[in-house]
Amino acid sequence: MSMFRLIKALFVITLVLILQLELFSNIRFFGVMPELMLGLAIASGWHGGPSNGALTGFVCGFTVDLYLATPLGLSALSYALIGYLLGIVAEIVAEDIERIVRLIISIAAIALGLTLFVLFGELIAEPNLYNKNFGKILVVGALYTGLFIPVLHYMMSWVFHESTYQGNQRPMNRSQLT
Amino acid sequence: MALPRRSSGSRFTLAILLLSSVTLISLDARGYEPLTNLRKAATAVVQPFRNLASTIFDPIGDAWESLSQGDSLEKENALLRDQLGELLEYRVTTEGAVEELAALRTQLELENLGGQKTVVAEVTAQSVSNFDPYILEIGKGTQSGIRDGMAVISVGGLIGRIEDPGLRSARVRLVTDPNVNIGVLVVGTNQVGILTGNGVGQPLLVSDGIPVSADVEKGSILVTSGSERSPYPGGFAVGTILEVLVDEINLEKELIVAPTGQFENLEFVTVVLYQPLITQNGRNN
Repeated sequence: MSMFRLIKALFVITLVLILQLELFSNIRFFGVMPELMLGLAIASGWHGGPSNGALTGFVCGFTVDLYLATPLGLSALSYALIGYLLGIVAEIVAEDIERIVRLIISIAAIALGLTLFVLFGELIAEPNLYNKNFGKILVVGALYTGLFIPVLHYMMSWVFHESTYQGNQRPMNRSQLT
Repeated sequence: MALPRRSSGSRFTLAILLLSSVTLISLDARGYEPLTNLRKAATAVVQPFRNLASTIFDPIGDAWESLSQGDSLEKENALLRDQLGELLEYRVTTEGAVEELAALRTQLELENLGGQKTVVAEVTAQSVSNFDPYILEIGKGTQSGIRDGMAVISVGGLIGRIEDPGLRSARVRLVTDPNVNIGVLVVGTNQVGILTGNGVGQPLLVSDGIPVSADVEKGSILVTSGSERSPYPGGFAVGTILEVLVDEINLEKELIVAPTGQFENLEFVTVVLYQPLITQNGRNN
């Protein structure tokens, strides 16, 4: 990742983190807030590929972990995996995929990310993660975050230029493609 | 469609990141000091931006709250008006209650709460997690004398304890957390039990420590026991008994308890600057 791209990524991560902590923690549907940082990890995997997805996911998760009571590294682990996974999915599916399909894949990935977070938490015997509200958090959290997925994709597209990722090559811009 | 080849580089990156995460989790679980300090530093660095964002976004959050909870606020107002009427009536009939309470406190050898130093702190944020709703963030920390484990009270009684205090902020773990245990005393008896949380908006539970023969009644008040090992000073109101059930297997009474402390719409809380003797001794040793 080039220095310029790194600065852009850090700017987006900080902006979304503050929005999540200060705005969306108060705007809840059925008591559930959106998981914007997880959405950012997903979008970065989509636009940056597996390596960048994993790395950005790790940073997103780590910064969230700093403000949660759960162990440091738990979100980083889940988000890095999801970022990597979405990078692979983005490689497999066609690049000119319909936006609605991309949205559905992203929403499914959010649900998977939340499940992984709780699963890893349960494995290390972290209390309060799996509770009677888990189903509600999964469904509402995924759908609510889904509302912001287009914006998050736009942001990460700005960070990684275009969704032109191929293998481990540097992402190309539109002019290089034509 | 030809699938792009994935180089081993991306797998290597993932492996390194996963190992780093597991290492972080492991170190954090052991209470590795630099990680704790990193958390505190990160909180301190971002705090000015959060404060700024809070100034901008709080009105939006408040507007959302009043929109989404309009009905419940109306109901709450009606309920509060009813309660106020009852309380005014009650006050007339219980003029001597203060003296009676003082006598009772002396009898139970509870510490004088007026003697404890306290700090009033602003509630800066609710829980920022979907999975752990039993957290509040307050705008004061170790700089104001706040330490880990100190009791936090709101109007009506105990609501939680301090967890991971930073320099200028701290987290409050609420008593509604099912993993929180508090030693409580049933006022008017010498029965001491263990009170646990039961989730947001749910009554608290005392399912351990009260024998089936104990004379506890619905409506009795529970206060912190203030035993030597307890992190809380004695005598803080915690709840009122709503229901008394009998556990015939363990031959104990199970108490359903309505918390007396206010948990909703908190703007300020009071932190009691009290550390139990056992902690102080431990530190001295």
